[in-house]
Amino acid sequence: MADNIKHKFFFPQRPEQVWEYLTRADLMELWLMPNDFLPIPGHDFQFRIKPMPQLDFDGIVYCKVLEIAPHHTLSYSWKSGPGNGKIELDSIVVWKLIPKDNGTELLLEHNAFRGFDNLSMFSALNGGWFKNIQKIAELINAATRETTKL
Amino acid sequence: MLQPVKQQNFDVFQVVADPSRRQILRLLSKDSLTINSLAEHFDMSRPAVSKHIKILHGAGFISIQDIGRERHCILKQEGFEKLQEWINYFDNFWLSKLGKLKSLLDNKLKN
Repeated sequence: MADNIKHKFFFPQRPEQVWEYLTRADLMELWLMPNDFLPIPGHDFQFRIKPMPQLDFDGIVYCKVLEIAPHHTLSYSWKSGPGNGKIELDSIVVWKLIPKDNGTELLLEHNAFRGFDNLSMFSALNGGWFKNIQKIAELINAATRETTKL
Repeated sequence: MLQPVKQQNFDVFQVVADPSRRQILRLLSKDSLTINSLAEHFDMSRPAVSKHIKILHGAGFISIQDIGRERHCILKQEGFEKLQEWINYFDNFWLSKLGKLKSLLDNKLKN
């Protein structure tokens, strides 16, 4: 089970060139989505994607610029919901650019579950279910034996 | 106390946004526990713990089994599946968008 959204991409361009495509609304639209982004901390903007009713998502992503360190780090909040401005998902997108000899390494992290300890819990849960199901089966069996004895 | 609750009343993200509820899930990921033993891990009142359990139950994160006189809480996969569905969707979303960015920049380099 994936415990977080993380991607690493390498580009042969310099960080400044990649940065432009992450922070200029017209260039962002070319590969991402229509938006009204501005590289200003605290700026509220929106992305529009295809609605996904089965995920309670009306297609509008409400964002706010959280951090900007030119050519290095960019983060924004990423909130969505089923409609009428109702927010159910409160997540954060973080971009990091790492200069390399022959280009730029771009790291993306999309944390959907704030305070979830990087969701390390997910992996714990995978093992946990089986163990708990076994345990509960034992308890039920024990309870049944008890009742039979009585 | 723990009446069945309509699942759509709870959004999975709202459910896991609460630190106490995450703590309950964490405790249950190690072992199934009775409501009483779960309540011992918290400073809040037992009705407050019950309320969190009710919400987790309603959203499909746990199931409750009556065994003897005790109510046992067990993790349930259903709630987590929705979170996983979301992760998968956006994982693919970013992967395809980044691929697009890569070809955009590659073309730019060639010109």
